[in-house]
Formats: sequence, C-alpha cells, structure tokens
Amino acid sequence: MPSEESLVRRAQKNDQEAFAQLYEEHFDKIYRYLALRVGNEMEAEDMTQQVFLKALQSISSFRWKGVPFSAWLFRIAHNQAVDHLRKKKKRSSVPLDDSLVASGDSPHAATELKMDIERLLKATKRLTEAQREVISLRFSSELSIAQVAKVMGKSEGAIKALQHSAVVALRRTMLVTEQ
Amino acid sequence: MKQKEFDNIFDECLERILDGETLEQCLARYPEQAAELKPLLETVLAVKEASAVEPRPEFKARARYQFRSALQEKVAPQRRPFFGWLPRWATALAIVLVVLLAGGGTVAAASNSMPDSILYPVKLATENVQLALTTSDLDKARLCANFADRRVTEIIYMAERGDARRVEEITERLDDRLETLVVLVSELEANGAGEAEAMLSLPDGDADVAPTEPPAVVEDGGRGRGRHGQPRNRAGLKLVVAGSAANNPAVLRAMLKDVPQSVRGALMEAIEVSEEGYARVLATLE
Repeated sequence: MPSEESLVRRAQKNDQEAFAQLYEEHFDKIYRYLALRVGNEMEAEDMTQQVFLKALQSISSFRWKGVPFSAWLFRIAHNQAVDHLRKKKKRSSVPLDDSLVASGDSPHAATELKMDIERLLKATKRLTEAQREVISLRFSSELSIAQVAKVMGKSEGAIKALQHSAVVALRRTMLVTEQ
Repeated sequence: MKQKEFDNIFDECLERILDGETLEQCLARYPEQAAELKPLLETVLAVKEASAVEPRPEFKARARYQFRSALQEKVAPQRRPFFGWLPRWATALAIVLVVLLAGGGTVAAASNSMPDSILYPVKLATENVQLALTTSDLDKARLCANFADRRVTEIIYMAERGDARRVEEITERLDDRLETLVVLVSELEANGAGEAEAMLSLPDGDADVAPTEPPAVVEDGGRGRGRHGQPRNRAGLKLVVAGSAANNPAVLRAMLKDVPQSVRGALMEAIEVSEEGYARVLATLE
C-alpha cells in the first residue's frame, strides 16, 4: 500500500487515483469530526463536502514540513467548523436530526444512541473549545495523540492534559445529568 | 502518585481501549489505580460509542460523485487528448457531428467494439451522448446499468487476453458508471419517482445497447420490464440491477482460475469494485 506521502505527491501531480484514495481514507473521519462539532447532520454533510473541495483546490500549496496530510485536512475542517459556529451560534439549539445515528441499528438501539449523542453534545458544550476539539479528534475521528497535537499545533503533553481534563469534566457533567 | 504519572497510565489504558481491549483487561493491568481509572474509562467508552456516527450511504455516494466530477474538472486539461482544446458544448457537438457523418453503420459497429479497437472511443463517446440526450433519471439509470454490463463484458475480454492495464482502466470506468447509477437512483428517490413511474420512453436506435450484455440468469417473469426486456419503472430497474449484481461479479470470479497470473490482481480489483458497486446501488434502491 502506498504511503500517505507518496499518495499526496501523486495527487499534487493531478493523479486522480491517488486523490480518490486520500478521499476514501479520510471521508468518514472528517464527517464524524464535523458531526460532533456542529451536531447537525445536514450541516455536517455540506461542510464535509466543502472540506474536500477546498483540499482539492489547495493541495498544491501543501508542503511536507513535519505536518502530515491528515493534520492539514483536519485543520481545514477545524477552520470550517469554527467559521460555521461563529456565524451560526444560535444553531446549537437545533435538535439533532434523527438520522445522525450509526446506520444499521435497530430502532430501539438507534433511539438509545441518539439520546447518547444528544447527551454527549450537551455535555461537550460545557467544555472549553480546546477540550471539545480534543474529544472530537480523539474519540470521534480516532486520531492518535501525535496527530491531534499536529492538528492543534500543541505538544503531545498538552494534548494528554487536555484529554484528561476533558474526560473528567464530561464524567462530572454526565453524572449530574443522570441524577 | 504524581498527576503526570497517572495521566500517562490513563493515556495508555485509553489507547488500549481504543484498540479494542476491554475495560476489565485494562483495569487488571493497574489494580492500584483501578478505582480512579474505572469511571474515566467508562466515560471514554460512552463518548466513543455515542460519537460513532456514520455518514448516510446515499450522501456518501452523492459526495463521492461530486468530488470525482470536481476532480475530473481539475485534471481535464491534462487528460483530454482529442478535444481538450474545445469547450464542452463544442466537444458534444463535434461528437454528434462525427456520429452523424460517420453514419449509423459506424456507430453500430462501435457499439460492439472492445477496448483494443480503434472504434472504442466512438463507443464511449456515443454512450456519453446518449446519456446527455436522455432527460429522465430513470432512463439514465437504465442506460448506466446497461453500460456497466458492457464494462464487465470488456473486462472479461481484456482479461482473457492478459491485458492488465486495460482491465484496470475499464474497472475505473465500471466504478464511475456504478457511482453515477447510485446518484441517479438517489435522485429518483428524492424526486419521488417510484412504482408509479410511467412507461419508459426508449430512444430510437437504443437497440444497440443490448448486444454486449453479459449472460443474465435471473428470471423475473417480465415484471417491471417493457419492450426489449428494458425496465419500465423503479421495480423493473431493481430487477435488472439485482440480476447484474448476482451475475457480473460471479462471472468475473469464475474467470480467475483461467486468466494469466499477471492479470489476476487487476481482475480481483474488478471483482471487488463490481461487488461493492452493485451492493451500493441495491442498498439505495431498497
């Protein structure tokens, strides 16, 4: 399997196959990240498409300087999410779409999962922006500590600390909600 | 214990849990910290489970199609060998003129040509013109299903001749056709074109689509089909696609043992693309 670096170099030379492979590898992760950040299915879908179209337009400007391609892509997604949330602050109260659940679940399981996501979204609102970012990147998009550090431009130690404090805060908030 | 040390243990357990280890296994590694670790790791598990949202298959298919279209737009200047200097409308016009000037005989001959033939580009151009001139999404979907069958026939032909490069190229075209089919079916769904869809208006001269279809074994008793056995409505289209989904990957798989070793990789890729592609179309038709 070709390395990410060779795929990116080929994509920068307009190799369609390489572009398509990069797209397939990152699509679901970017979608999950945005879905958790914005909490709305339609908006997450639109933004996911925008992320890849922006990447397509600007991939020639990407340079390997110790920053992996995935970090660059998530950076685009992060900027999209920040812009979107800044412009549409009031949207945070829009109820979660019914279909923002894992596909293939039974109706009962889907309802439970929806409640879990709603609870999670509510709980993450009490986190700081940096904590929310870490939670989305780590648990939703399944990036490693090192990758999250690259995306956020922080040290790995700082990401570990943020992750710990975010989990503690989530635990506290979810306990309060349960009671 | 220092906070930093606990953070490291927590992070190690978290990595293990994200890799699939159970909570109990993690806690057993650090019995002294188990009481403090347990609630945090339970939270991690809950967060991970709650955030496991997946994009809708129809959205994925549409997004993939749009991305590939954008991709082709981007690389088009490098990839257009014949008509690259012409604007799109002029390209279409040129193709129509070539088809008209060359006469029906050339077009008919091209429709049966294989990728190693000089007429093959005419076959592909004719397909694109047919799609461009077709207005109904259902008609377009039916054409795409038919063109996908043609690609499978061409893969078989080139695999038998040991041409791995062409098998790969046609596999890409098969993938494109099946992706387009998913998008068209999604749009049918969105526009409410369902069981009540009227008879298809088959364009004249459409009979040239049929001859290169691979062998079909699915019996449907003619339900949902019009003249020439073409699907009249969404149910008919589903039957046709189900037949191709059952037959095409199976025919390709059956060839594996007979083709040269050098083609097997490309053929495996074609099998995978056809299986996944047809599965996506059928899932969208459900």
